[in-house]
Amino acid sequence: MRKTITLGMVVGGIVLMLIGYLAAAPWGADTVANSDPSFGFAPALFVLGVIVAFSAALVYELMPDRPER
Amino acid sequence: MATQTNTQTSLLPQGVGRLTTTWKLAMAGSFLLFAVGVFAFVRELSTGMIETGMRNVGTMGGASWGLYITMVVYFIGVSFAGITIAALIRLFNLRHLRPIARFAELLTVVALILGALAIIVDLGQPLRGVVNLFRYARPQSPFFGTFSLVIAGYLVASLIYLYLGGRRDAAIMAHYPSRLQRFHRWWAAGYRDTPEERDRHRQTSFWLAVTIIPLLVIAHSTLGFVFGLQVGRPGWYGTLQAPAFVALAGVSGIGAIIIVGAVVRRIVHDKSRIDLDVFAALGKFLLAFLLVYLYFMSVELLTLLYATPEVEKQLSDALLLGEYAWIYWGSVALLVIPGLGLLWQAFKRRWNVGWLVAFGIAVNLAAIGKRYLIVVPSQTHGTLLPYEVGSYSPSWVEYGVVLGLLGLGALMIGTFVKVFPPIPLREDEEVMVDA
Repeated sequence: MRKTITLGMVVGGIVLMLIGYLAAAPWGADTVANSDPSFGFAPALFVLGVIVAFSAALVYELMPDRPER
Repeated sequence: MATQTNTQTSLLPQGVGRLTTTWKLAMAGSFLLFAVGVFAFVRELSTGMIETGMRNVGTMGGASWGLYITMVVYFIGVSFAGITIAALIRLFNLRHLRPIARFAELLTVVALILGALAIIVDLGQPLRGVVNLFRYARPQSPFFGTFSLVIAGYLVASLIYLYLGGRRDAAIMAHYPSRLQRFHRWWAAGYRDTPEERDRHRQTSFWLAVTIIPLLVIAHSTLGFVFGLQVGRPGWYGTLQAPAFVALAGVSGIGAIIIVGAVVRRIVHDKSRIDLDVFAALGKFLLAFLLVYLYFMSVELLTLLYATPEVEKQLSDALLLGEYAWIYWGSVALLVIPGLGLLWQAFKRRWNVGWLVAFGIAVNLAAIGKRYLIVVPSQTHGTLLPYEVGSYSPSWVEYGVVLGLLGLGALMIGTFVKVFPPIPLREDEEVMVDA
Protein backbone atom coordinates (compact mmCIF):
# COMPACT_ATOMS: atom_id res chain seq x y z
CA MET A 1 0.00 0.00 0.00
CA ARG A 2 2.80 2.38 1.02
CA LYS A 3 4.73 1.71 -2.19
CA THR A 4 1.60 2.08 -4.32
CA ILE A 5 0.71 5.48 -2.84
CA THR A 6 4.33 6.67 -3.08
CA LEU A 7 4.63 5.56 -6.69
CA GLY A 8 1.23 7.11 -7.42
CA MET A 9 2.39 10.43 -6.01
CA VAL A 10 5.64 10.37 -8.01
CA VAL A 11 3.82 9.50 -11.24
CA GLY A 12 0.99 11.95 -10.45
CA GLY A 13 3.53 14.68 -9.76
CA ILE A 14 5.32 14.04 -13.05
CA VAL A 15 1.98 14.06 -14.92
CA LEU A 16 1.05 17.39 -13.28
CA MET A 17 4.47 18.78 -14.25
CA LEU A 18 4.01 17.67 -17.85
CA ILE A 19 0.48 19.11 -18.10
CA GLY A 20 1.60 22.35 -16.46
CA TYR A 21 4.65 22.64 -18.68
CA LEU A 22 2.85 21.87 -21.94
CA ALA A 23 -0.06 24.17 -21.07
CA ALA A 24 2.25 27.03 -20.10
CA ALA A 25 4.49 26.76 -23.16
CA PRO A 26 3.16 28.80 -26.10
CA TRP A 27 3.10 25.98 -28.66
CA GLY A 28 2.20 27.30 -32.09
CA ALA A 29 1.60 30.84 -30.87
CA ASP A 30 2.05 33.32 -33.73
CA THR A 31 1.93 36.49 -31.61
CA VAL A 32 2.90 37.45 -28.10
CA ALA A 33 -0.76 38.16 -27.33
CA ASN A 34 -1.63 34.53 -28.15
CA SER A 35 1.18 33.07 -26.12
CA ASP A 36 -0.50 33.06 -22.71
CA PRO A 37 -0.84 29.65 -21.00
CA SER A 38 -3.71 27.51 -22.34
CA PHE A 39 -5.48 27.83 -19.01
CA GLY A 40 -5.05 30.04 -15.96
CA PHE A 41 -2.34 29.14 -13.48
CA ALA A 42 -0.82 26.40 -15.67
CA PRO A 43 2.68 27.25 -14.34
CA ALA A 44 1.33 26.79 -10.80
CA LEU A 45 0.32 23.26 -11.85
CA PHE A 46 3.95 22.57 -12.77
CA VAL A 47 5.10 23.80 -9.35
CA LEU A 48 2.38 21.70 -7.67
CA GLY A 49 3.64 18.65 -9.60
CA VAL A 50 7.18 19.21 -8.29
CA ILE A 51 5.87 19.51 -4.72
CA VAL A 52 3.66 16.40 -5.02
CA ALA A 53 6.52 14.30 -6.46
CA PHE A 54 8.92 15.24 -3.66
CA SER A 55 6.22 14.86 -0.98
CA ALA A 56 6.04 11.16 -1.93
CA ALA A 57 9.16 10.76 0.23
CA LEU A 58 7.16 11.96 3.26
CA VAL A 59 4.42 9.43 2.61
CA TYR A 60 6.92 6.62 2.14
CA GLU A 61 8.56 7.30 5.49
CA LEU A 62 5.65 8.46 7.60
CA MET A 63 2.87 6.11 6.58
CA PRO A 64 2.42 3.63 9.44
CA ASP A 65 3.06 -0.05 8.87
CA ARG A 66 0.07 -2.30 8.47
CA PRO A 67 -0.66 -3.80 11.93
CA GLU A 68 0.42 -7.46 12.19
CA ARG A 69 -2.45 -9.98 12.40
CA MET B 1 7.91 23.76 38.60
CA ALA B 2 9.82 26.34 36.56
CA THR B 3 13.07 25.32 38.24
CA GLN B 4 12.32 21.67 37.50
CA THR B 5 11.64 22.41 33.80
CA ASN B 6 14.85 24.45 33.57
CA THR B 7 16.85 21.61 35.10
CA GLN B 8 15.28 19.18 32.66
CA THR B 9 15.95 21.51 29.74
CA SER B 10 19.62 21.65 30.73
CA LEU B 11 19.76 17.89 30.08
CA LEU B 12 19.09 18.37 26.39
CA PRO B 13 22.19 17.73 24.26
CA GLN B 14 24.16 20.39 22.35
CA GLY B 15 22.80 23.30 24.39
CA VAL B 16 19.28 22.91 22.99
CA GLY B 17 16.79 24.91 25.05
CA ARG B 18 19.51 26.76 26.98
CA LEU B 19 19.37 30.47 26.21
CA THR B 20 22.77 31.88 27.08
CA THR B 21 23.54 35.60 27.40
CA THR B 22 25.71 35.51 24.25
CA TRP B 23 22.89 33.87 22.31
CA LYS B 24 20.36 36.42 23.57
CA LEU B 25 22.65 39.31 22.59
CA ALA B 26 23.24 37.80 19.14
CA MET B 27 19.51 37.31 18.64
CA ALA B 28 18.75 40.85 19.84
CA GLY B 29 21.28 42.21 17.31
CA SER B 30 19.79 40.07 14.55
CA PHE B 31 16.28 41.20 15.46
CA LEU B 32 17.40 44.82 15.32
CA LEU B 33 18.77 44.26 11.79
CA PHE B 34 15.53 42.53 10.82
CA ALA B 35 13.50 45.47 12.20
CA VAL B 36 15.63 47.90 10.15
CA GLY B 37 14.88 45.75 7.09
CA VAL B 38 11.12 45.75 7.75
CA PHE B 39 11.15 49.53 8.23
CA ALA B 40 13.07 50.04 4.98
CA PHE B 41 10.79 47.67 3.07
CA VAL B 42 7.62 49.36 4.39
CA ARG B 43 9.11 52.66 3.23
CA GLU B 44 9.81 51.20 -0.23
CA LEU B 45 6.34 49.68 -0.40
CA SER B 46 4.55 52.88 0.58
CA THR B 47 6.61 55.39 -1.39
CA GLY B 48 7.56 53.20 -4.33
CA MET B 49 10.73 52.00 -6.03
CA ILE B 50 11.91 55.61 -6.30
CA GLU B 51 13.24 55.04 -2.76
CA THR B 52 15.83 52.67 -4.21
CA GLY B 53 18.84 53.62 -6.31
CA MET B 54 17.48 51.61 -9.24
CA ARG B 55 16.42 53.43 -12.40
CA ASN B 56 15.59 52.38 -15.97
CA VAL B 57 18.48 51.21 -18.11
CA GLY B 58 19.38 53.65 -20.89
CA THR B 59 16.62 56.25 -20.75
CA MET B 60 17.19 57.02 -17.07
CA GLY B 61 20.87 56.11 -17.11
CA GLY B 62 20.60 53.57 -14.35
CA ALA B 63 20.27 49.89 -13.56
CA SER B 64 16.91 48.20 -13.01
CA TRP B 65 18.56 45.22 -11.30
CA GLY B 66 20.75 46.22 -8.40
CA LEU B 67 21.65 45.10 -4.91
CA TYR B 68 18.51 42.97 -4.47
CA ILE B 69 19.18 40.83 -7.54
CA THR B 70 22.84 40.63 -6.50
CA MET B 71 21.69 39.18 -3.19
CA VAL B 72 19.19 36.83 -4.90
CA VAL B 73 22.03 35.33 -6.90
CA TYR B 74 24.29 35.27 -3.83
CA PHE B 75 21.74 33.61 -1.52
CA ILE B 76 20.78 31.00 -4.08
CA GLY B 77 24.49 30.38 -4.61
CA VAL B 78 25.00 29.82 -0.89
CA SER B 79 22.13 27.33 -0.89
CA PHE B 80 23.95 25.18 -3.45
CA ALA B 81 26.70 23.75 -1.28
CA GLY B 82 24.61 22.85 1.76
CA ILE B 83 22.25 20.43 0.10
CA THR B 84 24.96 19.19 -2.30
CA ILE B 85 27.20 18.20 0.59
CA ALA B 86 24.27 16.70 2.51
CA ALA B 87 23.23 14.69 -0.56
CA LEU B 88 26.80 13.53 -1.27
CA ILE B 89 27.21 12.44 2.37
CA ARG B 90 24.12 10.25 2.08
CA LEU B 91 24.84 9.07 -1.48
CA PHE B 92 28.46 8.03 -0.93
CA ASN B 93 28.13 7.32 2.79
CA LEU B 94 30.80 9.88 3.76
CA ARG B 95 30.49 9.13 7.47
CA HIS B 96 33.24 11.51 8.59
CA LEU B 97 31.28 14.45 7.12
CA ARG B 98 27.99 13.41 8.72
CA PRO B 99 28.27 15.97 11.57
CA ILE B 100 27.91 18.87 9.12
CA ALA B 101 24.98 17.41 7.17
CA ARG B 102 22.19 18.95 9.22
CA PHE B 103 23.36 22.53 9.44
CA ALA B 104 24.42 22.34 5.80
CA GLU B 105 20.79 21.46 4.96
CA LEU B 106 19.60 24.20 7.30
CA LEU B 107 21.84 26.71 5.56
CA THR B 108 20.32 25.67 2.22
CA VAL B 109 16.75 26.13 3.48
CA VAL B 110 17.51 29.51 5.08
CA ALA B 111 19.45 30.75 2.03
CA LEU B 112 16.61 29.72 -0.33
CA ILE B 113 14.01 31.51 1.80
CA LEU B 114 16.19 34.63 1.83
CA GLY B 115 16.71 34.32 -1.95
CA ALA B 116 12.94 34.14 -2.52
CA LEU B 117 12.39 37.16 -0.24
CA ALA B 118 15.13 39.10 -2.03
CA ILE B 119 13.19 38.59 -5.29
CA ILE B 120 9.96 39.76 -3.66
CA VAL B 121 11.50 42.99 -2.31
CA ASP B 122 12.80 43.74 -5.80
CA LEU B 123 9.23 43.95 -7.12
CA GLY B 124 7.35 47.21 -7.05
CA GLN B 125 4.10 45.26 -6.60
CA PRO B 126 5.18 42.06 -4.81
CA LEU B 127 1.74 40.46 -4.57
CA ARG B 128 0.95 41.11 -8.23
CA GLY B 129 4.36 39.78 -9.19
CA VAL B 130 3.94 36.51 -7.28
CA VAL B 131 0.39 35.88 -8.53
CA ASN B 132 1.28 36.65 -12.15
CA LEU B 133 4.32 34.39 -11.94
CA PHE B 134 1.99 31.45 -11.23
CA ARG B 135 -0.43 32.61 -13.94
CA TYR B 136 1.82 33.56 -16.82
CA ALA B 137 5.36 32.17 -16.31
CA ARG B 138 6.77 30.92 -19.62
CA PRO B 139 8.72 27.65 -19.63
CA GLN B 140 11.02 28.94 -22.38
CA SER B 141 12.27 31.63 -20.00
CA PRO B 142 15.18 30.77 -17.68
CA PHE B 143 13.19 32.49 -14.92
CA PHE B 144 10.67 29.63 -15.11
CA GLY B 145 13.36 27.10 -14.25
CA THR B 146 14.80 29.32 -11.56
CA PHE B 147 11.53 29.94 -9.77
CA SER B 148 9.77 26.62 -10.32
CA LEU B 149 12.83 24.44 -9.72
CA VAL B 150 14.76 26.58 -7.24
CA ILE B 151 11.98 28.00 -5.12
CA ALA B 152 9.46 25.16 -5.39
CA GLY B 153 11.37 21.96 -6.04
CA TYR B 154 14.64 22.75 -4.38
CA LEU B 155 13.17 24.37 -1.25
CA VAL B 156 10.53 21.68 -0.77
CA ALA B 157 13.07 18.89 -1.35
CA SER B 158 15.51 20.48 1.11
CA LEU B 159 12.81 20.90 3.76
CA ILE B 160 11.72 17.28 3.34
CA TYR B 161 15.35 16.16 3.49
CA LEU B 162 15.95 18.17 6.67
CA TYR B 163 12.74 16.92 8.28
CA LEU B 164 13.18 13.22 7.50
CA GLY B 165 16.88 13.28 8.38
CA GLY B 166 16.04 14.71 11.80
CA ARG B 167 13.33 12.23 12.84
CA ARG B 168 15.69 9.87 14.64
CA ASP B 169 17.23 12.68 16.69
CA ALA B 170 13.76 14.10 17.35
CA ALA B 171 12.73 10.74 18.77
CA ILE B 172 15.76 10.77 21.08
CA MET B 173 15.11 14.38 22.10
CA ALA B 174 11.43 13.61 22.76
CA HIS B 175 12.52 11.29 25.55
CA TYR B 176 13.88 14.24 27.56
CA PRO B 177 11.22 16.05 29.58
CA SER B 178 11.43 19.70 28.47
CA ARG B 179 9.37 22.56 27.11
CA LEU B 180 10.30 21.36 23.63
CA GLN B 181 9.09 17.80 24.15
CA ARG B 182 5.84 18.25 22.20
CA PHE B 183 7.72 19.79 19.30
CA HIS B 184 10.23 16.92 19.26
CA ARG B 185 7.40 14.37 19.43
CA TRP B 186 5.73 16.07 16.48
CA TRP B 187 8.99 15.97 14.49
CA ALA B 188 9.64 12.32 15.40
CA ALA B 189 6.13 11.42 14.18
CA GLY B 190 6.16 8.04 15.87
CA TYR B 191 9.70 7.09 14.83
CA ARG B 192 10.98 4.09 16.84
CA ASP B 193 14.29 3.38 15.08
CA THR B 194 13.32 -0.14 14.04
CA PRO B 195 15.45 -1.86 11.36
CA GLU B 196 12.55 -1.40 8.90
CA GLU B 197 12.38 2.34 9.58
CA ARG B 198 16.15 2.70 9.21
CA ASP B 199 16.07 0.80 5.95
CA ARG B 200 13.16 2.89 4.67
CA HIS B 201 14.98 6.09 5.61
CA ARG B 202 18.12 4.90 3.83
CA GLN B 203 16.09 4.27 0.67
CA THR B 204 14.30 7.63 0.86
CA SER B 205 17.55 9.51 1.48
CA PHE B 206 19.20 7.76 -1.45
CA TRP B 207 16.42 8.58 -3.90
CA LEU B 208 16.08 12.15 -2.64
CA ALA B 209 19.85 12.60 -3.06
CA VAL B 210 19.73 11.09 -6.55
CA THR B 211 16.99 13.51 -7.63
CA ILE B 212 18.25 16.57 -5.78
CA ILE B 213 21.79 16.63 -7.25
CA PRO B 214 20.76 16.92 -10.93
CA LEU B 215 17.89 19.24 -9.91
CA LEU B 216 20.22 21.68 -8.23
CA VAL B 217 22.72 21.66 -11.11
CA ILE B 218 19.83 22.46 -13.50
CA ALA B 219 18.43 25.07 -11.12
CA HIS B 220 21.75 26.89 -10.72
CA SER B 221 22.49 26.66 -14.42
CA THR B 222 19.14 28.26 -15.27
CA LEU B 223 20.03 31.11 -12.94
CA GLY B 224 23.22 31.55 -14.97
CA PHE B 225 21.13 31.40 -18.16
CA VAL B 226 19.02 34.35 -16.90
CA PHE B 227 22.13 36.40 -17.72
CA GLY B 228 24.00 34.16 -20.16
CA LEU B 229 21.20 33.94 -22.74
CA GLN B 230 20.70 37.70 -23.15
CA VAL B 231 22.23 38.31 -26.57
CA GLY B 232 21.84 42.07 -26.48
CA ARG B 233 23.70 42.63 -23.25
CA PRO B 234 27.53 42.63 -23.46
CA GLY B 235 29.10 41.05 -20.40
CA TRP B 236 26.13 38.76 -19.78
CA TYR B 237 25.89 36.80 -23.02
CA GLY B 238 28.27 33.87 -22.84
CA THR B 239 28.53 30.10 -22.56
CA LEU B 240 30.48 30.21 -19.31
CA GLN B 241 27.78 31.94 -17.26
CA ALA B 242 25.98 28.74 -16.18
CA PRO B 243 29.04 26.67 -15.15
CA ALA B 244 30.69 29.74 -13.57
CA PHE B 245 27.50 30.31 -11.55
CA VAL B 246 27.64 26.74 -10.25
CA ALA B 247 31.37 27.03 -9.43
CA LEU B 248 31.00 30.33 -7.55
CA ALA B 249 27.91 28.93 -5.81
CA GLY B 250 30.13 26.11 -4.56
CA VAL B 251 32.78 28.58 -3.37
CA SER B 252 30.36 30.82 -1.43
CA GLY B 253 28.30 27.91 -0.11
CA ILE B 254 31.26 25.93 1.25
CA GLY B 255 32.71 29.14 2.70
CA ALA B 256 29.39 29.72 4.49
CA ILE B 257 29.31 26.12 5.79
CA ILE B 258 32.82 26.59 7.24
CA ILE B 259 31.70 29.78 9.02
CA VAL B 260 28.45 28.25 10.37
CA GLY B 261 30.37 25.06 11.29
CA ALA B 262 32.81 27.04 13.42
CA VAL B 263 29.93 28.88 15.13
CA VAL B 264 28.02 25.64 15.79
CA ARG B 265 31.20 24.07 17.16
CA ARG B 266 31.38 26.89 19.71
CA ILE B 267 27.68 26.66 20.57
CA VAL B 268 27.74 22.93 21.34
CA HIS B 269 30.98 23.26 23.37
CA ASP B 270 32.27 19.96 21.96
CA LYS B 271 35.04 20.17 19.39
CA SER B 272 35.05 16.40 18.93
CA ARG B 273 31.60 16.64 17.28
CA ILE B 274 33.07 18.56 14.34
CA ASP B 275 36.75 17.68 14.37
CA LEU B 276 39.61 19.09 12.33
CA ASP B 277 39.22 16.34 9.68
CA VAL B 278 35.79 17.75 8.81
CA PHE B 279 37.21 21.25 8.36
CA ALA B 280 40.11 19.80 6.34
CA ALA B 281 37.62 18.12 4.00
CA LEU B 282 35.66 21.37 3.66
CA GLY B 283 38.92 23.23 2.99
CA LYS B 284 39.76 20.80 0.17
CA PHE B 285 36.26 21.16 -1.33
CA LEU B 286 36.60 24.93 -1.14
CA LEU B 287 40.02 24.83 -2.79
CA ALA B 288 38.72 22.65 -5.63
CA PHE B 289 35.74 24.94 -6.36
CA LEU B 290 37.96 28.01 -6.01
CA LEU B 291 40.49 26.75 -8.56
CA VAL B 292 37.71 25.88 -11.03
CA TYR B 293 36.13 29.31 -10.58
CA LEU B 294 39.46 31.15 -10.93
CA TYR B 295 40.00 29.27 -14.19
CA PHE B 296 36.55 30.31 -15.47
CA MET B 297 37.21 33.89 -14.39
CA SER B 298 40.55 34.00 -16.25
CA VAL B 299 38.99 32.58 -19.42
CA GLU B 300 36.13 35.09 -19.19
CA LEU B 301 38.58 37.97 -18.73
CA LEU B 302 40.76 36.86 -21.62
CA THR B 303 37.72 36.59 -23.91
CA LEU B 304 36.55 40.05 -22.85
CA LEU B 305 39.95 41.62 -23.53
CA TYR B 306 40.83 39.81 -26.77
CA ALA B 307 39.86 41.80 -29.88
CA THR B 308 37.21 43.63 -27.88
CA PRO B 309 34.30 45.31 -29.73
CA GLU B 310 33.49 48.90 -28.72
CA VAL B 311 30.80 48.32 -26.08
CA GLU B 312 32.67 45.39 -24.54
CA LYS B 313 35.74 47.66 -24.37
CA GLN B 314 33.70 50.25 -22.50
CA LEU B 315 32.51 47.55 -20.12
CA SER B 316 35.94 45.99 -19.56
CA ASP B 317 37.45 49.44 -18.93
CA ALA B 318 34.79 50.15 -16.30
CA LEU B 319 35.43 46.77 -14.70
CA LEU B 320 39.21 46.76 -14.75
CA LEU B 321 40.16 50.43 -14.57
CA GLY B 322 37.01 52.47 -14.00
CA GLU B 323 34.35 52.87 -11.34
CA TYR B 324 33.95 49.14 -10.70
CA ALA B 325 37.69 48.39 -10.55
CA TRP B 326 37.88 48.46 -6.75
CA ILE B 327 35.11 45.87 -6.49
CA TYR B 328 36.64 43.76 -9.29
CA TRP B 329 40.21 43.72 -7.99
CA GLY B 330 39.03 43.54 -4.39
CA SER B 331 37.00 40.43 -5.24
CA VAL B 332 39.91 38.93 -7.17
CA ALA B 333 42.19 39.48 -4.15
CA LEU B 334 39.58 37.96 -1.81
CA LEU B 335 39.51 34.86 -4.02
CA VAL B 336 43.22 34.52 -4.82
CA ILE B 337 44.56 35.06 -1.27
CA PRO B 338 42.28 32.37 0.27
CA GLY B 339 43.20 30.13 -2.70
CA LEU B 340 46.91 30.50 -1.90
CA GLY B 341 46.24 30.05 1.81
CA LEU B 342 44.26 26.86 1.17
CA LEU B 343 46.98 25.54 -1.16
CA TRP B 344 49.55 26.20 1.56
CA GLN B 345 47.48 24.37 4.18
CA ALA B 346 46.84 21.47 1.80
CA PHE B 347 50.58 21.29 0.99
CA LYS B 348 51.60 21.36 4.66
CA ARG B 349 48.67 19.05 5.58
CA ARG B 350 48.02 21.34 8.54
CA TRP B 351 44.56 22.84 8.65
CA ASN B 352 43.70 25.74 10.92
CA VAL B 353 40.02 26.43 11.70
CA GLY B 354 40.63 30.15 12.33
CA TRP B 355 42.24 30.62 8.92
CA LEU B 356 39.53 28.53 7.24
CA VAL B 357 36.85 30.77 8.77
CA ALA B 358 38.77 33.86 7.59
CA PHE B 359 38.95 32.35 4.07
CA GLY B 360 35.24 31.51 4.27
CA ILE B 361 34.39 35.13 5.09
CA ALA B 362 36.76 36.41 2.36
CA VAL B 363 35.32 34.22 -0.41
CA ASN B 364 31.77 35.17 0.60
CA LEU B 365 32.58 38.87 0.38
CA ALA B 366 34.23 38.16 -2.98
CA ALA B 367 31.14 36.24 -4.11
CA ILE B 368 28.88 39.21 -3.28
CA GLY B 369 31.30 41.48 -5.17
CA LYS B 370 31.39 39.18 -8.20
CA ARG B 371 27.60 38.81 -8.22
CA TYR B 372 27.30 42.59 -8.11
CA LEU B 373 29.69 42.87 -11.06
CA ILE B 374 27.67 40.34 -13.03
CA VAL B 375 24.39 42.15 -12.38
CA VAL B 376 25.15 45.88 -12.51
CA PRO B 377 27.96 46.98 -14.94
CA SER B 378 26.37 45.37 -18.01
CA GLN B 379 23.33 47.59 -17.45
CA THR B 380 25.19 50.84 -16.83
CA HIS B 381 28.04 50.34 -19.34
CA GLY B 382 26.75 47.64 -21.68
CA THR B 383 23.87 49.10 -23.66
CA LEU B 384 24.08 48.53 -27.41
CA LEU B 385 21.74 51.47 -28.05
CA PRO B 386 23.38 54.91 -28.15
CA TYR B 387 22.66 55.90 -24.55
CA GLU B 388 25.07 57.70 -22.26
CA VAL B 389 26.96 55.60 -19.73
CA GLY B 390 24.78 55.14 -16.66
CA SER B 391 25.44 54.73 -12.97
CA TYR B 392 23.97 52.95 -9.98
CA SER B 393 24.50 53.16 -6.27
CA PRO B 394 22.20 51.46 -3.77
CA SER B 395 20.13 53.71 -1.51
CA TRP B 396 19.88 53.34 2.29
CA VAL B 397 16.54 51.55 1.75
CA GLU B 398 18.28 48.80 -0.25
CA TYR B 399 21.07 48.46 2.29
CA GLY B 400 18.46 48.39 5.06
CA VAL B 401 16.40 45.66 3.38
CA VAL B 402 19.51 43.54 2.73
CA LEU B 403 20.63 43.94 6.35
CA GLY B 404 17.12 42.93 7.37
CA LEU B 405 17.36 39.76 5.27
CA LEU B 406 20.73 38.89 6.83
CA GLY B 407 19.20 39.53 10.28
CA LEU B 408 16.26 37.26 9.43
CA GLY B 409 18.68 34.52 8.33
CA ALA B 410 20.61 34.81 11.60
CA LEU B 411 17.32 34.68 13.56
CA MET B 412 16.23 31.51 11.74
CA ILE B 413 19.57 29.74 12.26
CA GLY B 414 19.84 30.98 15.86
CA THR B 415 16.33 29.76 16.69
CA PHE B 416 16.90 26.38 15.06
CA VAL B 417 20.05 25.58 17.05
CA LYS B 418 18.15 26.22 20.29
CA VAL B 419 15.22 23.93 19.46
CA PHE B 420 17.01 21.07 17.70
CA PRO B 421 20.53 19.63 17.74
CA PRO B 422 22.47 21.26 14.88
CA ILE B 423 24.77 18.23 14.70
CA PRO B 424 23.22 14.77 14.27
CA LEU B 425 23.35 12.78 17.50
CA ARG B 426 25.76 9.86 17.59
CA GLU B 427 24.53 6.51 16.37
CA ASP B 428 25.20 4.90 19.74
CA GLU B 429 22.57 7.16 21.31
CA GLU B 430 19.52 4.96 21.43
CA VAL B 431 15.96 5.91 20.65
CA MET B 432 13.63 5.23 23.57
CA VAL B 433 10.67 3.25 22.34
CA ASP B 434 8.20 5.34 24.35
CA ALA B 435 9.25 8.48 22.48
